[in-house]
Amino acid sequence: MIFRMSAEVEQMPVTKHGVHTLCFRSLKRTHDTFISDHGCMPEADKDKQEEKMKIAQRKAPVMPKPKWHAPWKLYRVISGHIGWVRCVDFEPGNEWFVTGSNDRCIKIWDSASGKLKLTLTGHISEVRGVKVSTRHPYIFSCGQDHTVKCWDMEYNRVIRHYHGHLSSVYGLDLHPTIDVLVSVGRDACGRVWDMRTKANVMTLTGHTNTVAAVRCQAAEPQVITSSHDTTVRLWDLAAGKTHCTLTNHKKSVRALALHPKQYTFASAAPDNIKQWKFPDGNFIQNVSGHNSILNALAINSDGVMVSGADNGTMQWFDWRTGYNFQRYQAPVQPGSLDSESGIFALAFDKSESRLISCEGDKTIKLYKEDAEATEETNPILWKPEVARRKRF
Amino acid sequence: MSVAAGLRQILPEPTQQSFDEDVSVTHKERTSALVATRKEPPPYGARAGYVPRTVADFGDGGAFPEIHVAQFPLGMGKPKSKKSNALAVHLDQDGNVKYDALVKQGHGDSRIVHSKFSDLVPKEILDESDSSLQKPDQEKLDENTQRTRDALEKICNDKISASMPGQCAKKQAPAQYIRYTPSEQGQGYAGGAKQRIIRMVEVQVDPMEPPRFRTNKKIPRGPPSPPAPVMHSPTRKITQKEQLEWRIPPAISNWKNPKGYTIPLDKRLAADGRGLQSTHINENFAKLSEALYIADRKAREAVEMRSQVEKKIANKEKEGKETELRELAKAARAKRSGLAKSPKKEDDEEVRERDEIRKQRHEQRKREHNIARAAPGKQKELRSLEDRDISEQVALGLPAKKSGGDALFDQRLFGTSKGMDTGFDHGNDEAYNIYDKPWRSETTLSNHLYRPPKNRDLDTYGDDIEEIAKQKRFVPDKGFDGADPSAPRGSGPVQFEQDIFGVDELLADVKRGSKRGTDREDKDSKRRR
Repeated sequence: MIFRMSAEVEQMPVTKHGVHTLCFRSLKRTHDTFISDHGCMPEADKDKQEEKMKIAQRKAPVMPKPKWHAPWKLYRVISGHIGWVRCVDFEPGNEWFVTGSNDRCIKIWDSASGKLKLTLTGHISEVRGVKVSTRHPYIFSCGQDHTVKCWDMEYNRVIRHYHGHLSSVYGLDLHPTIDVLVSVGRDACGRVWDMRTKANVMTLTGHTNTVAAVRCQAAEPQVITSSHDTTVRLWDLAAGKTHCTLTNHKKSVRALALHPKQYTFASAAPDNIKQWKFPDGNFIQNVSGHNSILNALAINSDGVMVSGADNGTMQWFDWRTGYNFQRYQAPVQPGSLDSESGIFALAFDKSESRLISCEGDKTIKLYKEDAEATEETNPILWKPEVARRKRF
Repeated sequence: MSVAAGLRQILPEPTQQSFDEDVSVTHKERTSALVATRKEPPPYGARAGYVPRTVADFGDGGAFPEIHVAQFPLGMGKPKSKKSNALAVHLDQDGNVKYDALVKQGHGDSRIVHSKFSDLVPKEILDESDSSLQKPDQEKLDENTQRTRDALEKICNDKISASMPGQCAKKQAPAQYIRYTPSEQGQGYAGGAKQRIIRMVEVQVDPMEPPRFRTNKKIPRGPPSPPAPVMHSPTRKITQKEQLEWRIPPAISNWKNPKGYTIPLDKRLAADGRGLQSTHINENFAKLSEALYIADRKAREAVEMRSQVEKKIANKEKEGKETELRELAKAARAKRSGLAKSPKKEDDEEVRERDEIRKQRHEQRKREHNIARAAPGKQKELRSLEDRDISEQVALGLPAKKSGGDALFDQRLFGTSKGMDTGFDHGNDEAYNIYDKPWRSETTLSNHLYRPPKNRDLDTYGDDIEEIAKQKRFVPDKGFDGADPSAPRGSGPVQFEQDIFGVDELLADVKRGSKRGTDREDKDSKRRR
C-alpha cells in the first residue's frame, strides 16, 4: 500500500509554492488542530490569569492632573542696552540684578524700580555670561573676547583675568561650595578655574563641538555641560572625567536648568526639552511643544518651567507633567523690527516670584504672576496622552 | 543507601564518569585555604619531564635551560597569536548576558553608559516625595565638597609649584618602621627569621633640581574615549522638495573676483534678488506714449496736407505764369513773323528743332520731378558720386564702393581674432581705447589708390639710401691750394697775387698789338730807368 502511494505521488507533478504560502498554510493547520478540539481544552492557570488582569489594568494608568499655575504677565520693560541683552543674574539679596549684552557693557539694575545703577565696561567683545557670587562680593563675566573677568563690587573694577580659553566663552557658572568657577566655550572644552590663583585647574574635554551651557551644583555630578554636538555630559569634578554622556537629543542643546528642590534637571534643544534624574542622568520624560531653537530655560520651586526661544516666544510648563499652560510672545519695543525678537536668557529672581527675560530687541522684560487669574479663568485643558511607546 | 551500595558492588564499573553534585561540593570545601598557594616548579634536579607551558608554570623565574623545549616565560617571545578584539561574555546577577560590556569597553567601572531601550522610555513621576528624587542631605554634600576640594587643591598646588621657584629643602617626615610577618606558604617567605622590620624613608627631593622630564614635546592626541551609544532614532530622510528648499547657490560677489573666473552673466546675477521683486509699471506711461504717437501722426498729416495745398497753389501759379509767357512769346513771334515772312521750310525746321529741344527739356524735367518724388535722396547721390573728380572724392573721404548691396555685413566683423578679455583692460580705466582704428579707413578711396611710398628705393639700395642720397657727387676729394670755395670771399674785389712770370705784361702787349714796339719800349725803358 505504502509503496503504491509513493509511486502515485512520483507521477503527479509537484506544484511549487512560495515561502509565505507554505508558512501560512502550516500555521493554519496548527491552528485548526487546536481550535477544533473545543471539547478538550487545557485547564486555565489561575495565577497567570491574575497576572494578565494586572497587566491589562496597568496599560491604562491613572494619569494625575497637572498642578494649576497662575499665568504670567509682562509688567515692566527696561530698555537701556544698545545691543542684545545676552545674560542675567540676580544678587543673593535680591536687591539688584546684572545683565550682560552685545554692546560689551555689563549693567546693574535696581530690582524694585528698574533703574540703572551702574555700567561696567571692560570687555572688548560681547558679554555672554554673567554670574554674581553668593559667597564673595564678586561678579564674574565671560565674553566673546576669550576672557573671563572677575569684578570686585567693592571697587567696581576688574581684579582678575582667567586666561586660557582659545575661543569665545559662552557660559559660566560658579560652584556653590568650592571656590571654583567653570567656564565653557567654543573651543569645545570646559575649564575649571581656581578663583584665587587664576590657575586653570582642569580642562574638561570630551565634547566635539561648542559647549553652550554649563551648570554647577554641590551634589554629584558637580558639573553638567551641554553642547552643540547634541550631547549633555555629567562630569566627575574630582577626577576631571565624564561620568555620563546623554545622547538623547537630536539637535544642539543650548540650555540647561537645574531644579531648585528636586534632584533633577532639564535640557533644551529644538526637538524637545528633556527631564533627567541625577546622579546617573536617567531619562524621565520629554516636554515637547516648543518647536524652535531654545536659548534659555528656567525652573521655579513651584514647578514652573519656562523656555525662551530664538524667535521671541516663551512657553510655561508644569514641571511634573510637562503640561504647557501658557504661551506668549512679547511685542518688540517700538523702533525694533519684528524679526529682532528673540530671548537669550531667562532667570527667576531669588524669591521666585519674578521672571526676567533678556531679549534681542535690546530690552529686559519682567514678568510676574497674574494675581487675578484663577483656575476657572485659566482652566487646565489637558488631554493625557495614551501611554504608547514613543519612538525617540 | 544500603541497597544502592549493594547495587554498586554487583554492577560493573561505569565507563563514563558521572557528575555528582555532592562530590563537587566536598571538593570545594577541602581546598579552601587562607593563603593562596602558588604552584612552584619542581626544584633543580627533579625537573625531568617537566614542561612549563603556561606563565604560572614558571613560578617566579624564567626559562629552564635544561628543559629543551621552547619556553615563553611571562609570555615573552611567543609568536603573536591572532589578535581578536572579542570580549569575553559575562553574565549579570539574573543570568542575562551583559551586552553593554561592548559599550563600556575602555571606561572605568564607575562610568555610566546608557544603552538599554528602557533608558529611552519616559517614566511618570508619580511620587514627588520619592527619596531618589530628593537632593542628598547636607552631610553628604559637605563630604563630597571636601573630597573634591582636596583633589582640586592638590592639582592646583602641583600646577602652581611648577611655576613658583624652589624654596629651602622640605623636612622629610621621620622614618617609619613596619613589622612584617611573611606567611609560610606565601611569596615573600624566605627561610630564616619569622618576622622582619622594614624602615620606610621618603626620598629626599633636591629643591634646586630643575624638572627632570621634558614636557614640551608635541605628540599627537590619543584616541578619544569610546563614543556613547546614540539614544534616539536616526534622523528622518529629507524629501527631495525639502532639500531643494534648503539649497544655497554658490556665492558670486559683485565686487571681488580674486581668481579671475569668467562666470556667465546669468550666474553673476543669480543672487541679485531679481526674481523676488516684481516691478509694476504705471499704465499711464503707456497712455502717454500712445497719446504722443497719435499727436505726432496728426501733426504730420496736417503738415503734409498743408504742403500739398501749397504745392498745388505754386503749381497753379507756375502754370499761370508759363501760359502768360507763352502768350507773350506767341505774340512776339507773331509780330516777328508778321514783319518778315521767312520761308516755311526753315521755319518749320527751326520750329521743329526748338520743339524737340523743348520736348527733351520737358522730359528731363519730368524725370527729375518723378525721381524727386519717389526717392528724394537718390538724386543727390547719383549726382554726387558720378560727377565728382577722383581727387575730390579722395579729399571728401568717400568710400570706395557704393554702400549697401545684397548682404549688408560690416567688414570689420570679419577676421577678428581677439580673445576672451576683449574690452577689459585689466582695470585700467583711464585709457581711452574704445576705438583702435579709424572708422572707415579701409573703405575710403584713398586706401584704394596707389601711392608710392617715401622710401621705395629701400630694397634696391638697402639701408644706406640716406647716405647715398646725401653724397655730393661733383665735389672734389681734394681742392686746389688757395682755391678754397668754402672760405668766405669778403666784400672786396678779388685780390690778385704778384705777377712772377710777367704774364700780365705779355697779355698787355698782346692787347696793344702796335708795330713800333721800341718807342714804347724806350718810353718804358726810360721810365723804368
